[in-house]
Amino acid sequence: MQDVRLRTGVAVLLSVAAFISLAGAAAAVVWCLVFARTVSLRRHARLFLSLGILVGFFATVLQVSGGDGVSYFIRMMVIVLIGVWVYSEQKKGEFLRLGVWMLGGKTGFDLGLVADMGMQAMDLLIADFEKIRLAGRLKRQPLNAKRLVPAGVVLVSNAFHRADETAELLAVRGYRDGGSLCPVFIRARTDIVASLLACLVVIFAIFPVSEFFILYR
Amino acid sequence: MKLVMDRVVADRGGGAWSLAAHGVFTEGIHLITGDIGSGKTTLALVLAGLVPPASGSLERTGITSSMLSFQFPEYHVTGLTVRDECESWGMDPAQVLAATRLEGKDDLSPLRLSRGELKRLHLACLLGQAYDLLVLDEPFSSLDCREKERVCRNLSGRARGITIIFTHEQQIFPRVDYLWEIHEGRLAYRGPVPGALPFWQHAPEIIRMLLAAGKAPQNISPDDLVEAACRT
Repeated sequence: MQDVRLRTGVAVLLSVAAFISLAGAAAAVVWCLVFARTVSLRRHARLFLSLGILVGFFATVLQVSGGDGVSYFIRMMVIVLIGVWVYSEQKKGEFLRLGVWMLGGKTGFDLGLVADMGMQAMDLLIADFEKIRLAGRLKRQPLNAKRLVPAGVVLVSNAFHRADETAELLAVRGYRDGGSLCPVFIRARTDIVASLLACLVVIFAIFPVSEFFILYR
Repeated sequence: MKLVMDRVVADRGGGAWSLAAHGVFTEGIHLITGDIGSGKTTLALVLAGLVPPASGSLERTGITSSMLSFQFPEYHVTGLTVRDECESWGMDPAQVLAATRLEGKDDLSPLRLSRGELKRLHLACLLGQAYDLLVLDEPFSSLDCREKERVCRNLSGRARGITIIFTHEQQIFPRVDYLWEIHEGRLAYRGPVPGALPFWQHAPEIIRMLLAAGKAPQNISPDDLVEAACRT
């Protein structure tokens, strides 16, 4: 899906659908299978797995404490899948264009800039983490609980350093707030169809199928 | 002991960029120069066996231990204190701290040191080991001239194993055995030093001047350059 406005809207709709019910989560997965086949889970396997462990932990706690942990786990993992799809489709500058289109050249520009910088920081964090992991492998020291502390400090301090440098650079270049940008969006033929079907997924999640098929009752 | 690159192609994923490498690294010190962005780090990861090549193969003969030093030393930190960090490399903290002029900083977090200090500590720990294959990615970055010279003296003294140094440094080098350079997406072997010096496209200005004046240095360390410059 090429148009970031539709992609973001669809991601919100599918996430809501997946969160509401298991049926909505199943429909969102079907939508992903049809329209988001470009997302390579193998490429993002580590991200998917680590988020899965985190969600699994909370799902287990929920299940043990009497809630429906299994349903929670399935629904949240579908939301993670949608997040991975949005992340893998994202291109540089898209959030800036989206922000300006939605909220104009002042607030929209600032929010879009922050979102784009956040995405860039995410890429760099992943690259840093990979190097820390490789360096640990060379020293034959796996990334265990003891190593997480220095690794976390490196990740956070590097992120702060970069943020500081970017802020200084923006200030040196005279940035105060807002900016001018004429956002241009490219839309593929299937984008509209995919978006309409995402709306249907939400309807399907909210209203049970039995509401439509009277004979089923 | 040797590391053979058989038509290796390294890339950064996505297929937009690639680097071709073919040749053999034998025992000794190999210097690989190239511009920033030419693929030195990517190739270093491949040679250290941390990232598989996109195509081609690497064959290691007689190499039982290997290490890669990243440009940024903080990636290697696993200890909570400077002392822990030295011990994590199997080194005696007192000895390392004295050699790196970091005495009294044993209980500090390594990440509280400046990047230059941390690089000094990291290289001192690393060069205290006897790896069969040692790959150094920009070992001179974040170091002042005095420290670069000290590291170069240590490197020049490595008696055994394959040492591969990736750098875009233009001033201070260790004594090296073989020259390579990355040029137009390809790793090119220039030959043993000093015979390879006239073919070295990334040669620093001082070496070019010495060659032009007919005073070819025996090697590229500061001492060799001074000897060549003062030769009558």
